[in-house]
Amino acid sequence: MAKIEIKDLSKDYTTPNGVLHAVKHANLTVNDGEVVVIIGPSGSGKSTLLRCVNALETATAGHILIDGIDVTAPGTDIRQIREEVGMVFQSFNLFPHLTVLENITLAPMKVKKMDKAEAEELARQLLKRVGLSDKADVHPTQLSGGQQQRVAIARSLAMKPKAMLFDEPTSALDPEMIKEVLDVMTDLAREGMTMLLVTHEMGFAKAAADKVIFMDNGEILEEGTPEKMFTSPENPRTIDFLNHIL
Amino acid sequence: MDDKNTIEEKIRKETLVRKAVSVDPNAAKAGPSTIQMTDGVLIPKKGEKHILTSWRLTFFGALVLSAILIVFFPDPYRQIFRTCLRGLPVTFEVTIFSIIGAVIIGTFTGLGSVSKRRWINMICGVYVELIRGIPLLVQLIFIYYAVGRFFHVEGLVAAIFSLSVCFGAYMGEIVRAGIQAIPKGQMEAAIALGLSRSQAFRYIILPQTVKVILPAIGNEFISMLKDSSLVSVLSLEDILRCGRMYISRTFLSLETMLVVALIYLIITLVLSRLVGVLEERLHKNG
Repeated sequence: MAKIEIKDLSKDYTTPNGVLHAVKHANLTVNDGEVVVIIGPSGSGKSTLLRCVNALETATAGHILIDGIDVTAPGTDIRQIREEVGMVFQSFNLFPHLTVLENITLAPMKVKKMDKAEAEELARQLLKRVGLSDKADVHPTQLSGGQQQRVAIARSLAMKPKAMLFDEPTSALDPEMIKEVLDVMTDLAREGMTMLLVTHEMGFAKAAADKVIFMDNGEILEEGTPEKMFTSPENPRTIDFLNHIL
Repeated sequence: MDDKNTIEEKIRKETLVRKAVSVDPNAAKAGPSTIQMTDGVLIPKKGEKHILTSWRLTFFGALVLSAILIVFFPDPYRQIFRTCLRGLPVTFEVTIFSIIGAVIIGTFTGLGSVSKRRWINMICGVYVELIRGIPLLVQLIFIYYAVGRFFHVEGLVAAIFSLSVCFGAYMGEIVRAGIQAIPKGQMEAAIALGLSRSQAFRYIILPQTVKVILPAIGNEFISMLKDSSLVSVLSLEDILRCGRMYISRTFLSLETMLVVALIYLIITLVLSRLVGVLEERLHKNG
């Protein structure tokens, strides 16, 4: 399993209206087997921070270490990192031209050179784990949002990642489908997967998180155990935000 | 009241902008569905009754007219038809091989245009601009003679080569627009799984692009068939050239050109209907 260390990370965007500081000097550590939830208002840089971890965004300054390997260093093999760090997106991003099974087996076969039978066996196991054994041969468009997201989680797990990143995994879902996805995620957390999430599901944060981070305007303003964060937050912005959503 | 009107106006404009599809990268992004590249060819689909009706009218009109000419005026029309149809194999040969060539060139150009390497972008951009800025007929003749100067090739090969190069540029733009119509998340999901960019293109982006651009390629095929008549200036005996040779023998210019036009019209209409059917089937299969 893995340890993610984010050290003094900044990310700037150049926009027509000037430079936008999306993330400002963020420091954060996710220990092996820990579940860390990032909360905060939209536009606060949560997703950007998350996307920097597997280099979907290039950090402007600072370092990200995964098991001591610097993601931001120029010589780092980013593909190697991405193999080991799974990512689940808000919009699922399943491959619509492939069946569910092919969605899951593609990366193990092409990246890890696993043979087809082995990859399919693995995929079927994973589908069973997310409760979708009967959907192996359908196309993603025939699935509900919750089912699609569970397939997306299975697809990530097929690479046997050491850590998982979740970028608002339930934000695009209907309320009745959120639970089925959260259940899968809770199972993962219980099994000791290192997880870094951006989510608005405070219930999940309370139940599964080891640490909750509050971000606003690109800065990490407060962090602590879910108990502390939800019952006695200190930063006025945190208090204000939690008052609005709870 | 005024406010409401302006809002409605805005919404209407917005939807219009979204519907308008362009190959201009700076223009509003098209939805992920399909790209319409019309060439003025009407591809009738079941849903569009008026187009289907006009297609039928034209098609059967052309057939009936041809039949009348052949049956009631066998002299000289039967002879003219026979002569002109002799050019049919050449026309088809040129069209089919050129479209294959154009698709190959277009795929590389399209990939080059979205490449992260600037110099590759530059080469593809210059190629496209160069081709777009010169009339097809001029290019054809130029490339034909240029190829002839350096290599000893048959006229047919040279014509196919020239047409491929010319249409490759347009095809490249279609491919590029098709690639850009695929949601960004697809590429992100692929590389987040550890695939390289080229693997992501090969297994994720291109298969989806093919589906999006197939109708546009069908359109190009029809344009190609019509524009292949230009090769008649390269002393290739296609339909048009056969007709013109007949004219120079008999001086029946009006009659011959009428037949040439009818032949092209019928083939084009049949093909556009075929492309329409293909497109419908493609949509049905998801």
